[in-house]
Order: sequence, then C-alpha cells, then structure tokens
Amino acid sequence: MVWPYLTSSIIFGSLFGLMAIGLTLTYITTKVPNFAYGSFVTIGLYTSYSMNRFADFSPYMTAPIAFAIGGASSILMYVGILRPLARRGSSLVSLMITTLAIDIGFIGIFGIYANYLRYSYNMTDSLSFYQLVADFHLLGEQGLLYVAPASLGLITLGLFLLLSLTKFGVAMRASVENPSLARILGINVEKVYAFAWFLAGGFAAMSGAYYTLYSGGGVATGSGLIVEIFAASILGGLSSIYGATIGGVIIGIGENLLTGGGIALLGSWVLDYQKGIPLLIMIITLLFLPRGLASLFE
Amino acid sequence: MIVVPSIIIFGINIVKFAVDLGNAYMLFLAVSLSLNLEAGYTGIPNFGKVMFMAGGAAISAAVSGLLAVVILGVNVHGNYNAYIVTVINQVNASLAKNPLLSVELVLLGTILAAAIGGFLGFLASYPAIRLREDYLGMLLLASAQFFQIFLGAYYPLIGGTQGISVPDFFSWAGNGIGVRDVTILGFLTVFAIFVYLYSERVARSPIGRTLRAVRDNEIATRALGKNDVAIRRNVIIIASAISGMAGALLTFQVASIGPGTWDRITWTFYIWVMVIIGGSGNNFGVATGALWFSFLSSGITQVQNALPSDLPIDVNWIRYLIFAALLLWILAFRPGGILPEKSSPTLARRTLSRALEEKPG
Repeated sequence: MVWPYLTSSIIFGSLFGLMAIGLTLTYITTKVPNFAYGSFVTIGLYTSYSMNRFADFSPYMTAPIAFAIGGASSILMYVGILRPLARRGSSLVSLMITTLAIDIGFIGIFGIYANYLRYSYNMTDSLSFYQLVADFHLLGEQGLLYVAPASLGLITLGLFLLLSLTKFGVAMRASVENPSLARILGINVEKVYAFAWFLAGGFAAMSGAYYTLYSGGGVATGSGLIVEIFAASILGGLSSIYGATIGGVIIGIGENLLTGGGIALLGSWVLDYQKGIPLLIMIITLLFLPRGLASLFE
Repeated sequence: MIVVPSIIIFGINIVKFAVDLGNAYMLFLAVSLSLNLEAGYTGIPNFGKVMFMAGGAAISAAVSGLLAVVILGVNVHGNYNAYIVTVINQVNASLAKNPLLSVELVLLGTILAAAIGGFLGFLASYPAIRLREDYLGMLLLASAQFFQIFLGAYYPLIGGTQGISVPDFFSWAGNGIGVRDVTILGFLTVFAIFVYLYSERVARSPIGRTLRAVRDNEIATRALGKNDVAIRRNVIIIASAISGMAGALLTFQVASIGPGTWDRITWTFYIWVMVIIGGSGNNFGVATGALWFSFLSSGITQVQNALPSDLPIDVNWIRYLIFAALLLWILAFRPGGILPEKSSPTLARRTLSRALEEKPG
C-alpha cells in the first residue's frame, strides 16, 4: 500500500533535487529567480518524446541529448537576453518579469512544435502525452528507482569535486562570492556564469527526459513543476548546491509520502491537493528558516 | 426590441468589435491600475495577481448564484452545484423579469469579492512586508499556481475542474443582439473610471509621494516617521480588493466560472505587460498600455476568426510569442514604457512658480 508512494518519493525526490540544483546555479550567478526554469524541464520532455517517436530512443539514451539542448537554450537565454538587460541596468523586478516572459514564450514555442508534429507527422498526442515507454525492471522495481538517485548522487559528488578540487571550480566559487575581485584576478566571470547556466539548463532537461519514464507531460508540465522546484531550492537556502540536493529529496519524499499517507487515512481526495505540500514547506521555510537548511550547517 | 446596430467594414462588425474591445479594456484597465498601485508606486512585485481576482470571482459567483436560487425559490434539491445546470434557464428567465434583484446581486457579489480580495491581500501582506522582492515573487507565483489547482480540486466552491454556470444577472437587458454586452460595458466603464480616479487621486496626493518614497528608499521613509509596514499592507489590501471586484465582474459577464480561466498568463503576465508597456508608476501611461494591449489582443482574435478553423497551428501560441517578445523589446529599448513615470511636484505648478518669483533677495 505504502510501497508505490515510497518509490515515487525516491524518484521524484531525486528529480526535484536535480532541478533544484539547476535553479540554485542560476540564482547564485545572476541573483534573479528564474521563472522560466520549469520550461527547461519541458525541453527535456519534448526531446524525449521526439527522439522516442522518430528514432525509437529510450529516455535514457535521450538524456544526454536533452542535456545538451537544455544547456544550449539556457546559455542562449542568459547570454542573449538576461545579461544584456542586466547590463542596461534593469531592476531585479524587470529581470524577474523577463524570465516570466521567456517562460510564456517557451510555452508558445512548445505549442507550435507540438502542433507541427501533429500536423506533419500525425502524432495526435503531441500536446499532451502519457508515459512514453515501459521502463526496464531490476529486482522487480522500475529502473528509474535506481537511475534517478544515482544521477543525483553522482552529479552532487561531481559538483563537489569540481568546486573543491579543480582550478575552474575554485574560479567558479570566486566568481559567485565576489565577482569584481575575481575579475581582478583575471577570471573570465562571464564564461564561468555561462557554464553554470549550461549546467542548470542541462540538469532540468535531463530530469525532464527521465520524467517521461514515470509520467506523461505536455507543453506546460514544466511550468507547473515550478512550485516544487522553488520550494526545494528555498528549503535548501537558495544559494547552496548541497542544500538544493537535500531540499529536493525532502520535497519529493514529503509530497509523495504525505499524499500517500493522506489517501490511506483520509481518502483519495487528498491527491488533488498534492501541490499544497511543497507550497506549505516553502511557506514554513520562509517563516522559520528564511536562509534554508544551509544556514543550519554554517 | 432594441438592437445594437452593426456596421460592417471589411467583413468585420465594427460596433461589435468596439463593444467587445471596451469590455476587455475596462477590466484590463482596472486590474492593471491596481498592479500599478502595488508594483509601480509601492514596489511590491505581485506575481500572483490572478489569485486575488480568482478568489473574489469564485466566492461571489458561488454566493450570488445561491442567493438568486434561494430568493427566486427555484428548487435545486439542496445541491446547488449539481442541479444549477438543469435549472439555469429557469433562473435566467426569472432574473430577466427582475432587474432590481439582478443588479442588487451584482452589487452584492462585487462588494463581497472586494472583501474576499482584500482578505487575501491581508494574508499576502504578511510575507510581502517581510520578504525580499525575489522571495516574495516566488512565493506569490507558487501560491497562485496552487490556488488554481485548489479551485479545480475543491468541488463545493465552483464545481471542481469542470467549472459551473453562473446565473445571468444581465438577462434583463433584453435579448436584442448586443444589448447585453452594451449594458455590461456601462457597468464596467463606471467601475474602471472609479478605479482610475481613485488611483490618480492617490498618486497625486502626499500619500502617493510616500508610496514612491517607500519604493525608492524604505529606510529613509522609516527615518522620516512614516510607517512603511502599514503602507505596504494597506496598498496590497486595496489593490487586491480591486482585483477581486474585477474578477467578480468578469464572472458575471461571461456567466460561468471554471479554474481554467485563472492561469498565470492572462491575469498575471498580461497585466504586467500592460503596466510595463504603458509606463510603470504612471496611471495614464498604464491606461495607455492597457489600451494598446487590448487593441493588439482583439486584433489577433479578429485575425484568428478570419482564418480557417482547421489551421495546423493554434493562434494562441503565436499570441504568447508576440506578447513575450513585445515585453522583452520594451524592457530592452524603452524600459520606462511609452509614457515613463514623471516626478510629482509637491505643489501645483502655478503656486510653485509664484513662490519662486517671490523669493526675497
């Protein structure tokens, strides 16, 4: 009875962790909350959908391709739109509304692409599709139960090694902590930020590709996940990558296990209010621990 | 029978176009002015605007509808949401014969929506006073997202995801072509003009200058003895009450309500587009921005109607792209909007120049 909720907790916890790491990377570099971030997840969904329908790829094979496309779009958004606007002296609120505009623009592009697929290739489910393919099974459980946490763990470990052991990682940290001092030391801060944005878009799109193994999606699926992603990132402290990992896992587990428990105890209506749980966690964090879990370890 | 005349040019009924445009514009005007009060003058980035409208709309639709059924004595077997569809024609026919009751229920619903909007604004003011702009933006956006889901999930309020019919409180206007729309236009115009005059009065008064001071330098304002916390709270409550009323009027206009209307695109993003295009912090500018937006939006709808219906691409996606691109273009090349904010003189210009002339020595 509880087991399916436990597995979905682990899967979604890992995916939200990946997404929250990405959002945190965009936030610590530009200091703007990225309302368009959910759409990078949708990029992953549609890359996975297209690769599956055209080339019969499994979402696992698509994940690296999705990573590249999501990362490239993310760099384009940063270098092409946000950075020029920030240089023109746009206020924080203007940059926030810019990211919201980009999100709406993305939804438009996905919609046009989905319409194109339906019209030209007769894919009738292109606007809203179900789980793409059956996942492989290992020891009676779906593969994503192993792959998603492993990806989150490896990426967190990889970022830890990158940031603490390599010269580029130290330069990244310096660019985030004190951009002007980093520039004096000859670090190309812009390049470092663009790389952070590439990783951010990549993580989102990769989780989007994985997502198609568990559930379906549509043009606004990613935008709808923004509640969970923000909640995870804020819970982690919004400026800590490791905080985001933990935040994502807690949000995933909290949302799925509490919903499962609620359904068992109170009835199936609890399912409709599932998204209230991350929102509640976000509100509680902001009220009682405004600097997130990261502030507990300082 | 009264019929609104139609003038057809290039296959478009100009009169109908103007009335529809007016109806859309008046609502957009009221809501964008309320956002201007929050974001433009006071610097509270409300990224959850739609929530305050939807709250007012849902409660007023439910209460006014129920009251109409009770007062008219229509039998809904004790289950309004389930039976309203079957008796809606009977209710509308009774309301058509009873203009006074209809208007009373519209007014009552609108006042109730103001109260609900104001209450939601009061709740939102708690984080709005304490959080930084970025955290507040995220919280309000996420809350509005959940509120839309809540409207779909909580069946007793507006009948869940399917939505519900709302009795037509304007059926007394007569069933001539376009008469109902013109009547509603009258109501909406009065409402929007009231909101405009109120916003202008606030903006030009000492309170307006205090709002800008809170926006530009909170600490200096506090040092000068102004209660910035109370000011922010009151602005959110008032702006949200206006949004709630607009939501109720929209619901009475379309005579139905469902959660699908209340996404973040139309009533949050587009409202921001109007404020930024027009000129944030300038009421006349925002009114101009809302007019440009309404024109463009209605124009796109006209093009959409003229095109064959089996088009491969849904025009709404193009609409999203156009408005997103327009906003980015304005932010890049004209960040102050069409009519940027002007400094507000503390005295009337004549008094000021006289005072300068009479300056001794």
